[in-house]
Amino acid sequence: MTEKISRRDFLRLGAAGAATGVLAGCTSPRRWVVLEPFVRPPEQQVSGVATWYATTCRQCPAGCGVIVRLMNGRAVKLEGNPEHPLNRGKLCARGQAGLQMLYHPDRLSGPLLQSTRGSREFSAIDWNEGINRLFQALEKAGPAVAVFGGATMSDHLFDLFSRLLAAVDAPAPVIYDLYTELGGYRMLAQAMGQVYGRAALPAYRLAEADVVFSFGAEFLGTWTSAVRYGVEYGAFRSQPYGKRGLLVHFEPRQSSTAVTADDYVAIAPGSEGLVAGALLRIIADGNLGLPGRAESARGLAPSLDVDQAARESGIPLEALQRWARRFAEAERAVAIPGGALAGSSNGMLAARAIEALNVVSGSAPAGVNTTPPDLGLARKSLNTFADVQSLIARMRAGEVQVLLIHSTNPAYELPAAAGFLEALAQVPLVVSFGPIVDETAVWSDLILPDRSYLESFGYEVVSPDFGSPVVSSQQPVVTPVFDARATGDVLLTVARGIPAAAAAMPWGDEVDYLNQMVAGLPEAAYPASTPEEKRARFQQHGGWWPAPAAAAPALRPQPFTVTAQRAAFDGNETDYPYFLHVYPSVLLSDGRGASLPLLQGVPDPMTTIAWQSWVELHPATAGRLEIRDGDLLRVTSPHGEIVAAAYVTPGIRPDTVAIPAGQGHQDLGRYARDRGSNVVQLLGAALTDEGGGLRWNGVRVALARTGKRIATASLESKVGVTEGLGYE
Amino acid sequence: MAEQASPESPVWNRPLPDDPELAAQVREIREKHLLQDARPPGEVAEKVLGPMARLGRVFWLAFVVLGGLTATWLVTWAYQAYQGMGVTGLNRTIMWAPYIVNFVYFIGIGHAGTFISAALRVLKFDWRAPISRAAESLTVFALLVAFTMPLIHMGRVWKFYWMLPFPNQRQLWPNPRSPIFWDMTAIFTYLTCSMLFMYLGILPDIATAREKSSGWRKRLYTVLALGWRGTDREWKHLDTTLNIFSYGIIPVMFSVHTVVSWDFAMTLQPGWNSTIFGPYFVVGALYSGVGAVIIIMAILRKALHLEYFLRDEHFNAMGKFLLILSFTWVYFYFNDYLLPWYHKEPILTVIFRLFTSGWAAPLWFTMLIANILVPWATLWSRKVRSSIPALVGVALLVQVGMYIERYLIVAVMLGYPELPFNWSVYIPRLPEILITLGVFAFVVLGITVLSRLVPIIPIWEVVEGQLLQGTRRIGRAIFPAKPEAD
Amino acid sequence: MSELETRLLDRGPSAAAAPKTELPSHKWTMLIDLDKCTGCNACVVACHVENNVPIRSEREVIRGHGQHWIRIERYWEGEGDAQRATFLPMLCQQCSNAPCEPVCPVYASVHSERENLNLQVYNRCVGTRFCGNNCPYRARQFNWFAPQFEGPITEMLNPDVTVRSGGVMEKCTFCVQRIRRVEEDALVEGRPLRDGEMVPACAQTCPTSAIVFGDRSDPQSQVAQRLGGQREFQVLEHLGTAPNVYYLKAGGSDGGAG
Repeated sequence: MTEKISRRDFLRLGAAGAATGVLAGCTSPRRWVVLEPFVRPPEQQVSGVATWYATTCRQCPAGCGVIVRLMNGRAVKLEGNPEHPLNRGKLCARGQAGLQMLYHPDRLSGPLLQSTRGSREFSAIDWNEGINRLFQALEKAGPAVAVFGGATMSDHLFDLFSRLLAAVDAPAPVIYDLYTELGGYRMLAQAMGQVYGRAALPAYRLAEADVVFSFGAEFLGTWTSAVRYGVEYGAFRSQPYGKRGLLVHFEPRQSSTAVTADDYVAIAPGSEGLVAGALLRIIADGNLGLPGRAESARGLAPSLDVDQAARESGIPLEALQRWARRFAEAERAVAIPGGALAGSSNGMLAARAIEALNVVSGSAPAGVNTTPPDLGLARKSLNTFADVQSLIARMRAGEVQVLLIHSTNPAYELPAAAGFLEALAQVPLVVSFGPIVDETAVWSDLILPDRSYLESFGYEVVSPDFGSPVVSSQQPVVTPVFDARATGDVLLTVARGIPAAAAAMPWGDEVDYLNQMVAGLPEAAYPASTPEEKRARFQQHGGWWPAPAAAAPALRPQPFTVTAQRAAFDGNETDYPYFLHVYPSVLLSDGRGASLPLLQGVPDPMTTIAWQSWVELHPATAGRLEIRDGDLLRVTSPHGEIVAAAYVTPGIRPDTVAIPAGQGHQDLGRYARDRGSNVVQLLGAALTDEGGGLRWNGVRVALARTGKRIATASLESKVGVTEGLGYE
Repeated sequence: MAEQASPESPVWNRPLPDDPELAAQVREIREKHLLQDARPPGEVAEKVLGPMARLGRVFWLAFVVLGGLTATWLVTWAYQAYQGMGVTGLNRTIMWAPYIVNFVYFIGIGHAGTFISAALRVLKFDWRAPISRAAESLTVFALLVAFTMPLIHMGRVWKFYWMLPFPNQRQLWPNPRSPIFWDMTAIFTYLTCSMLFMYLGILPDIATAREKSSGWRKRLYTVLALGWRGTDREWKHLDTTLNIFSYGIIPVMFSVHTVVSWDFAMTLQPGWNSTIFGPYFVVGALYSGVGAVIIIMAILRKALHLEYFLRDEHFNAMGKFLLILSFTWVYFYFNDYLLPWYHKEPILTVIFRLFTSGWAAPLWFTMLIANILVPWATLWSRKVRSSIPALVGVALLVQVGMYIERYLIVAVMLGYPELPFNWSVYIPRLPEILITLGVFAFVVLGITVLSRLVPIIPIWEVVEGQLLQGTRRIGRAIFPAKPEAD
Repeated sequence: MSELETRLLDRGPSAAAAPKTELPSHKWTMLIDLDKCTGCNACVVACHVENNVPIRSEREVIRGHGQHWIRIERYWEGEGDAQRATFLPMLCQQCSNAPCEPVCPVYASVHSERENLNLQVYNRCVGTRFCGNNCPYRARQFNWFAPQFEGPITEMLNPDVTVRSGGVMEKCTFCVQRIRRVEEDALVEGRPLRDGEMVPACAQTCPTSAIVFGDRSDPQSQVAQRLGGQREFQVLEHLGTAPNVYYLKAGGSDGGAG
């Protein structure tokens, strides 16, 4: 079955593995690297000299490669892996904060049992008992098992979960979290499927573009692949012969992407598709642009009244005409559909309209327009909110006996109307694998804490991959700090007791599984002569990627239609005067960053506020309601209400208010608890028209003063930046 | 004719002229002028030494309250040193505020003491005689407090001695380019000289007190008197020494506050790097100092029943002095503000607008009223100057005004560096308030206690002055006159 | 060494063969391209991790004690609804004519002539905060309280960098610990430094490569080649601080003119 290589041999092969913990369980350990005290350090570690290990960041689903600097066995710095084709040695703020996930004071050490859900009274049990409880429940449940996971679950773990579920005839895991919902991952992939025939997350290559129109795509914030987009953007601005590209950003709120753009257009919420359609129409009717463009546009442009579109979206007609001409005449013009579309009622429509612009300009995104090579690896696919609703329905109907939750926090991330917590009552055993007690773990019975990503083995198929396939590798860089256990190992241990699963998952531990998977990969860009070397190099370099090859022929876009209309919003204008613009916080993402001081304590780029949440509103709104910064406001939507501190800014439309996701936790550790408010409480559980997504960008709200104030924890001087020195 | 002292009619026993009108004039002169109103020897001393031992209820009440505030100061300081400077309202933009304001303020009021006892002595203004020691004591305690202020505001106060030059194994010396180092040397010099100057001046009076006291006081005074016997030689030496000190301490006085002003003028902070800060601060110091001396005079007069010594003429003179200083101060203030207003440097325009119409306007206008409007409206009037409550009121307002002036310079202007992102408003918190109250209390407490321990009126200078004074008759009018000095 | 010195010191022939033990001089320069800065704050977080800069609590931030060696200053330009934000990464400018140096009474803020850096000596600082006042960029950060690193978070502290105590001033050092390591490695290997070998934490992590770092006395370096253009400016140039951080102006709305 598995080869046991001695540590010495392993090291001799030049691998960069580190000491890891022992797998305990019902059978004897089969690890091939043993825990050693640092009195006898591994041979390659010299005190005062750093060692670097490559692994993959899991702070967001992108899968950037990181290298970790170790001094005396402690991880002290993360950097981007310079060899990794995705992020090319760069790393974002969330990635840099990853060390605090590893060394977090609230991380669990050992499994916990909660007698009464929601009581937060946990009793510690040992791993044997924990795994046994899980095993017994699974044995009894048969096919009534469900797995609810998030997009940062590594693909290898998804595979193990899937195999386990398949072996017991249970439905596949449901992969859904707020991060990918706010980023529109699933919706975009579906839209790409409709346009290009391949449903995959698109990756827009900007490095050589002339003109980029971003429709609410905060690609310089935290969206799909923030680091790589940053790299692309950097190249976009320093193209040869002084060319610096033109970026136009359409969004109701001035995000950091909007700030960086050359031109920012504060369009009306939900009108992105309308604008794209109008641009197509103008190109078509005006016969604009390079040869062939107008004709292509004519085939795709929806029939709409451009004047009305201009009025509805809030852009002057002449500006639309200017942009249309610019787009059509640019040799390399790219339009990016943003995450905000996902939450709109007509999101898929809008995405197709925007992608139509790319079809017209002939610049299809990477990741969708070519057929990827078959790597023989399983990779997760994201589910829609409708799928989540199906799971909840099954739970409610008592069809789920065991619910396993990993790398997602539905109790916090799902709107109340989804009924997740109520449905939980019908599930006898809820198991959480989170390393820190989060809102969902508080409603679980059993917690089997997974290791943090810096202590884990695994692989992740990078998505989106910007044109070249990459399988990013994970390896533990330190001896595990807490008594957590790799979920993959837990599953494999449990699987041994279930005959069907044991057959489908014949590996002794995670590493054995990985070795087999890696062995099946095609030839990499780096040389590896033996299977052992291949495995070692896979970890040493940080993953697998092929040598640069000739680009595969692009797929032709399929025929599709474009309709353009304004999105629908819940709530009428009189009772709920403002559009609610929800966005993931650059630092806190969808809330997962709230546990880390390095992300909480760093000022938000647009408001410079740390540790708090806020509702952004326009000075005219503030004037009308007599609101000052720090006033606590009651924000009410047709679905719920929250209290949030006001932040007056010119960077939002007067008819809109914006609230970032990420705060409002009741759990998730001492740094996240009891701060700000959770904007998800304002959302309903309605679906988008197409695609089964959650309609999170379709709510109107009302504001009311509560009469209370808080002091704003901002770094800026509000007076200074608004009044300044009086320069014209 | 000038009345001369003679063995038959000693100074305190000069007969009145026969003419009733002239006699009335002489009586009036004696009533008005201390130095014309000689008393038998011993009586003057008794007037000073007597009340010292009589500690009434008011004294003890003051002692307890002031002592309590002083103790609060020390406890708060210890708390702040232990917890860290973060307990104050200082922030990343405004790194100096209340302690430095206190620092400048107290050094400032210390200048009046030196000016009155040294400069006025050099200029032979004899009316300063009864005031000088009280003023010097104000200087000494104010300087002591001022010396502690930079320590209070330090982040690692237990390493304060690194700012002093002393040979050490690592050959590390303080930075002579730093205005703080100049502060250290200047204030240390000033404090030492002031204390010596005051001590020397007290010596004859302590000797007198030694003769006239008993018990622990006698023991104390015996030690402090350093064996003063009052011989001619000793007096001559004292006179020479005091002259040297007087002449010497005047440049020290000017340089100290100039050096303190360079803490600000030598920086890049907008509003601070003004070349006029040197003389501006010196004049401001004198202004607030004279006001403080007036207040001290009034309190001591009441508490120690010094009506004989501190008469209308002294308050009148100090009031006039205050008015003159107010003119001088306004001149420098105007110069300091005219230039930036004129050339419209953006950040200074912002600061200026802050003062005239922004959140700092109440402070600024209070300052203008207290420093300019009220003194100019009142001090020209003899009635005001002669009314001790009124004069003390004006002097108190001047203290408030000058404190605000330093506060505006330090705590407000620091919040406006050239990069507007970093603008900030300083909000005092409890530690600063308690410490500030405590140091004010300490200064008053110090003078109060000192006035009960050593004669707070220079007996020998008053007596000497009385010996040298006489009257002069021109026609039907009699004037106080002094024979030409050597 | 002059001929006279050589003769006087009488080093003899062995001196010529002796290995160089002196580190060469550099003019470390940072270039920040505002056209590329997206305000993502990766540099801020990276700097915190590399240099053990404590994260201050909510209460401390409210009181103005937020502590960052590099921060993204966000300004507004324009009027009314046409206001657009701009980002300005602000850090210690490592002034050649640093106003923070002459005012420190204990020589805690000193200049390194060889490297053209402004050095802060933590163990000498007594906390008078004169340097902080005199910095027109307000780049200096004071430890108002002793830093708190809770529990296992102390494990991730960088052993190459002192952890400062309360009452001590600190600021960006251009990652001088990295400069040292890189210089010593080069010295040991007997070769000059290569451009790009020394990169501070902020520049290394910046996804758009808006931050560029190097030795501008090396004409082949990236910084030297990108200096002197039309877009170049320095913050508060008129104060005469001679900063070693250069900025490149963000471009206007007509991009792509070639």
